[in-house]
Amino acid sequence: MADNKSKLTIEDYKSDFIFKKKENGLNIQFNRVAFIFFVFFIIYLIYTIHLIHLGSRKSKFENINNLPGSKNKLYRADIIDINGNYLAKTVKSIDIGLKTSDIINEKKLLLSLNIIFPDKNFDEIKKKIKTKKFFYLEKKISEENYEKIMKLGDKSLVPEERVLRMYPQKNLFSHVLGQIDDDNNGISGLEKSLNDELRKSTESIKLTLDKDIQFLIRKELIKYQEIFKSKGSAAILMDVNNGNILSLVSLPDFNPNERQNITDVNYINRVTKGTYELGSVFKAFTFASALNEKVIKPETEFLDLPKSIKCDKYRIGEYDNEIPSDLTAEQILVRSGNIGSVKIAQKVGSEKFKLFLEKVGVLSDIDFDIEEVAPQKNYDFGKCRLATASFGHGIATTILQLAKGYSILSNGGYEIKPTLIYKENNFNKKNKRILNRGISEQVVSALRKIVNTEEGTAKFADVQNYEIGGKTGTADQPEGGAYSEAKINTFASIFPTSNPQFVFVVMLDTPKKSKDYYYKYRHRKGGWKGTLYNTAGWTSVEVAGKVIDKIGPILATKYIEVN
Amino acid sequence: MKKFALALVIFLLVLSTAIIKNTTKQIEDEIFTAKENIRVLNSELENVSLEHDYLSSAERLLEYQSQYFEDELIQKNINDIRIYNISDDLNKIQNFKIIKE
Repeated sequence: MADNKSKLTIEDYKSDFIFKKKENGLNIQFNRVAFIFFVFFIIYLIYTIHLIHLGSRKSKFENINNLPGSKNKLYRADIIDINGNYLAKTVKSIDIGLKTSDIINEKKLLLSLNIIFPDKNFDEIKKKIKTKKFFYLEKKISEENYEKIMKLGDKSLVPEERVLRMYPQKNLFSHVLGQIDDDNNGISGLEKSLNDELRKSTESIKLTLDKDIQFLIRKELIKYQEIFKSKGSAAILMDVNNGNILSLVSLPDFNPNERQNITDVNYINRVTKGTYELGSVFKAFTFASALNEKVIKPETEFLDLPKSIKCDKYRIGEYDNEIPSDLTAEQILVRSGNIGSVKIAQKVGSEKFKLFLEKVGVLSDIDFDIEEVAPQKNYDFGKCRLATASFGHGIATTILQLAKGYSILSNGGYEIKPTLIYKENNFNKKNKRILNRGISEQVVSALRKIVNTEEGTAKFADVQNYEIGGKTGTADQPEGGAYSEAKINTFASIFPTSNPQFVFVVMLDTPKKSKDYYYKYRHRKGGWKGTLYNTAGWTSVEVAGKVIDKIGPILATKYIEVN
Repeated sequence: MKKFALALVIFLLVLSTAIIKNTTKQIEDEIFTAKENIRVLNSELENVSLEHDYLSSAERLLEYQSQYFEDELIQKNINDIRIYNISDDLNKIQNFKIIKE
């Protein structure tokens, strides 16, 4: 048993075995999943990018319609008035041409065309078919006839689309809108100054003008142009608080649809381009400048005023020798005294008076929406120029500048910019103050007296319920270094004077007396037959009164806020 | 499990992409058609407005008036204009005046 003894030794088993996954197989599996994931990820990425692209790109519709210029080089945006009526519109029209070489059956074609266009001269068309390769059968065809033509299915009939610029109001806005050339480029008026905007814009451009008011003013101007046989006439109606021009008329005018080449200078825009010595309408500025400089008050007396004075070799006299020698400053304005105005201007002084006229815009360049604006001449204000300028002679300006000046005189003395383009936020925005506080009210009060008192020169414009104030101006026109018999008769009015809203200026170029016209008095019964004097008081004032009679209810109900 | 989830996500993404793309295309087509219709209608409206502006212009209306009526048009006096105020359940007729008194 002893021999069979054996030892049992127990030792810790140490093994080198470590469990490991078979790496090769696993790698293959993982790479396969990653690859599939990668493929799907790429597909997903492509779709995502495509989706983003689809979402961000503009639709075909927008691409076509937002860039009208790229679609049609002749495109121009429409122009509308303040009420959305079309003043200028781009319309498409189709011309039908005939390509004679493509005619298959001439007899059949002519027969069909005869049914569509029964009034056409087919003998002439037959001649053209024989002699010409191509000619226009019908221009600006109606949609109905276009459809009929297309139904014929004849390939010799070639439709050509054209773009037309139409002015549905014809002459009414000719001086404002201007004209375009054959390539649809603006050559005058707003068509020129807004050329780039009109080509790029998809929206219509809205103006401050009112079609109905413009029509009424033009109609009256035409009527009185015939009565007073004037060479031309002009009128402007403007909101004194924001410079919005509601009407701008200059006669003679033209039809922009006809695309005439106008070379006659009589067709200039008399509101913006024509410069005139406007006479006594300047006395309101003389009065206002003296009040502003505090050298006078309305009741300041001027005693022993002579009937005439001399400046160098020139004699300055009164228009009405009946004018009293003792007058207050306000009476000088109301009775339109020349010598009194000279005395007032002399109190202000040359430099200050010139600066005042520049500040109110009558002697400074004006920044306007159309390019047909006369440049302002710079005048040296010596002793004699100061004297003549005080009653509106020796210096020339435009009707537009005059309207701007009267707006500043009546709106409390605030700067304004006359404009034809409607801006949404342009209402009653107060700009820089030009006149001291209280001056405007004193000037407006004096202007009212010119219309509603017996001494005033503008009684024919005292339209009931509108409180019109204003100043007349009768100026001899300079010709060859001297003054001629021809006159420029102007009436610059503001209304209602208790709360000035509008300035309205009427100018008649070279009017003549009318023997047959009957003036109806506004203050008393009866009237007067025939023009007594060829002055603004007997011409422009009468026109302004008649115009305000007509446009007043529209202005009152549409443009004046009533509490 | 993870693999299944991953595959499911991928599948869902692909599916959603396809559905979204399809729906977007449909919507885009609808938008395009609607806009085209609006464009045509706008164009028609513009032409009709132009015609209306021309036919109802003051010049034309006066022409029609003289052509079809014997009576003269009467100028409206501002005194004949009244303000009809219906605010605060009060129907009031006021005189119309633009001047301050």
